[in-house]
Amino acid sequence: MSEVGKRESFTIPIGPQHPALKEPEHFLISVDGEIVTDAVVRLGYAHRGIEKAVESRTWVQSLYMLERICGICSHIHAMAYCLGVEQLAGVEVPPRAQAIRVLVAELERIHSHLLWFGVSAHEAGFDTLFMYTWRDREKVMDLLEGFSGNRVNYSVNVLGGVKFDIDDAQAIAIREAVSFLEERTHHYLDVVTKDTMFLQRTRGIGVMTRSQAEVLGTVGPTARASNVYREIRVEAPYAAYDKYPVKIILDNRGDLEARFVVRLTELFESYRIILEILETLPDGDLTTRIPRRIKAGETVSRVEAPRGELFYFIKSNGSDTPERIRARTPTICNMMSVMKLLVGHQLADVPMILAGIDPCFSCNDRMVALNRGRNKEQLLTWEALRQYGIDYYKRRSD
Amino acid sequence: MGSTTIKDVLISLTALLIFPGGLFLLLVSLAYEWVDRKLLARMQNRVGPRWFQPMADTIKLLAKEEIVPDAVDASLFIGLPIVALAGVLTAAIYMPFPGLPPIGSFPGDLIVTVFLLSLVTICLGLAGANTLDRFSLVGATRTLTQLFAYEAPFLLALLGPAFVARSWEISEIISYTDGRWLLITQPFGFIVAVIGLIGKLEIPPLDAPEAETEIVAGALTEYSGRGLALFRLAKGVALVLGLTLIAAFYLGGVATPLLFLVKTLALLLVIVGIHALFTRLRIDQTVGLWWKYGTLLVLVQWLGIIIWQGVMI
Repeated sequence: MSEVGKRESFTIPIGPQHPALKEPEHFLISVDGEIVTDAVVRLGYAHRGIEKAVESRTWVQSLYMLERICGICSHIHAMAYCLGVEQLAGVEVPPRAQAIRVLVAELERIHSHLLWFGVSAHEAGFDTLFMYTWRDREKVMDLLEGFSGNRVNYSVNVLGGVKFDIDDAQAIAIREAVSFLEERTHHYLDVVTKDTMFLQRTRGIGVMTRSQAEVLGTVGPTARASNVYREIRVEAPYAAYDKYPVKIILDNRGDLEARFVVRLTELFESYRIILEILETLPDGDLTTRIPRRIKAGETVSRVEAPRGELFYFIKSNGSDTPERIRARTPTICNMMSVMKLLVGHQLADVPMILAGIDPCFSCNDRMVALNRGRNKEQLLTWEALRQYGIDYYKRRSD
Repeated sequence: MGSTTIKDVLISLTALLIFPGGLFLLLVSLAYEWVDRKLLARMQNRVGPRWFQPMADTIKLLAKEEIVPDAVDASLFIGLPIVALAGVLTAAIYMPFPGLPPIGSFPGDLIVTVFLLSLVTICLGLAGANTLDRFSLVGATRTLTQLFAYEAPFLLALLGPAFVARSWEISEIISYTDGRWLLITQPFGFIVAVIGLIGKLEIPPLDAPEAETEIVAGALTEYSGRGLALFRLAKGVALVLGLTLIAAFYLGGVATPLLFLVKTLALLLVIVGIHALFTRLRIDQTVGLWWKYGTLLVLVQWLGIIIWQGVMI
């Protein structure tokens, strides 16, 4: 190759619109035949300026805004925010509320993992598995709808507690669904570890060693599949996780199969915790009073989202609106590992490896700091930012 | 003499264009496509399309504007789907479709038929290579790679029955296989032929050439409107003819339309089952499958047939 000079690289664009992606994002894959030689990602297509938007909303309004960062893990975003704000305000949330938060978080993890499982089966061309997992996922969606009225943004949290209580009928429904799902999960675990055709697409593909996983800063199940001990529920228990300890699931193989096994095994932990919470749900209030103005200060709130560590930085200046909120989502941490892992694999493995980190692009794309080489800080109001966006696209279309 | 010629011509034209070839064959292929989609949907816990959906799709596509991209050879772009469809429709002449004796036959028509069925794949590959679209180019490469992988074993598998019938003429082979289930004596050939058909038609799990999660629609990415409709029809017809050929050769013949219906649908059920059960293979795995196992199995069977015939003589 070097003698002939630099060969013109053949690039395949995946996205922003592509059947493999359910959300807009752009990947430029350079290939030599079927082998990937380079991969570049361009983020930002789903940027909505949420972090900026919350700065002009009250603490309560911001909750609903932040919940809409992600359609899959909406609860965990709201929970991370609430935990942070409650910490700033110095408010103690009733134990029943904390337990319900954890319960919903685990239900959300189940639906998120099943969703991911179906999508990655579809990426591998195994549509039957996709249809089956999504059918089973409906059980969880029904539960979430049952006590909150919503399938996606269930809005369980309020500052200082939760909105919805779990009554006996719901507890029975949850127990039934969980025992059904537990049986199904055993079956799925069988499929991903024994189906020869499926293993051909996952075993030994996209291997990430432990040191690579650590250097690339991966989080969540992606890291745990490479045997990295990283799980916020275990390392820094929040909400009611100190009362319901979680067993960390690790795998040392680091390939796609390990990522499947880790996520599916995690589901069993979720089932166990849900049943335990239903058994020992503490009595008491659901909410506690929280001041409208939050004391000045700043805090960090870390929770374990289905995809990994979700990190919130919250700063208050003592008024009724947040000074600054920064959310770092797990996908952005894991994205770089994908770019690294793709190189050397076949084009056919690209969608699988990408799906292996369980990417969520709308989580991913938020505030981008423009550093134009000078320390000139640009501060835009929400209206100005909106106007800037409108003008930008007008200019592009001219 | 003159009147009989006109009558003959009319009969031939009817046979070619209306029944059993031509129009009737197209309708049957749409019906089979519906059976395929409905069965798959039921296996995947879905509802599936209504009976007229494939026809509605085709009519809609035919009515839509065909966008010819810049930087393609326009005549090739428009001509290839027509050649593909014409090829498979011609192949029908030598087939016992639908359970009737073939309209035409000559010694060696089996080879011609198999070639005509491959024409679809070749046209697909050329259509992909004709455009500058990157998905199409990768799709075309994969289509042609897959063609080289399955073509030899598939042909060898179809020649097995021809070998025992001691003829390469389809009408003679089917008169030999009528009532004889070669599936029992030549099981490897049957398996290879069925999987060969799956590979030929790019049905999952051998659909790497049009893997939508990687390369959108593969070679057909740039096609819209009439070209896409014609390619889809050509594939549908190739499916029906492939099923006919395998049923006639391996499943004890298709002497009557009823037998034809039962046996080809049973075969379709098997293919849909394979589609529903397996994960898509990568293109290197597909090629490996054929050259490591497919060809080997057929050759072993050939050896068996030759030895058996030697013993009998």
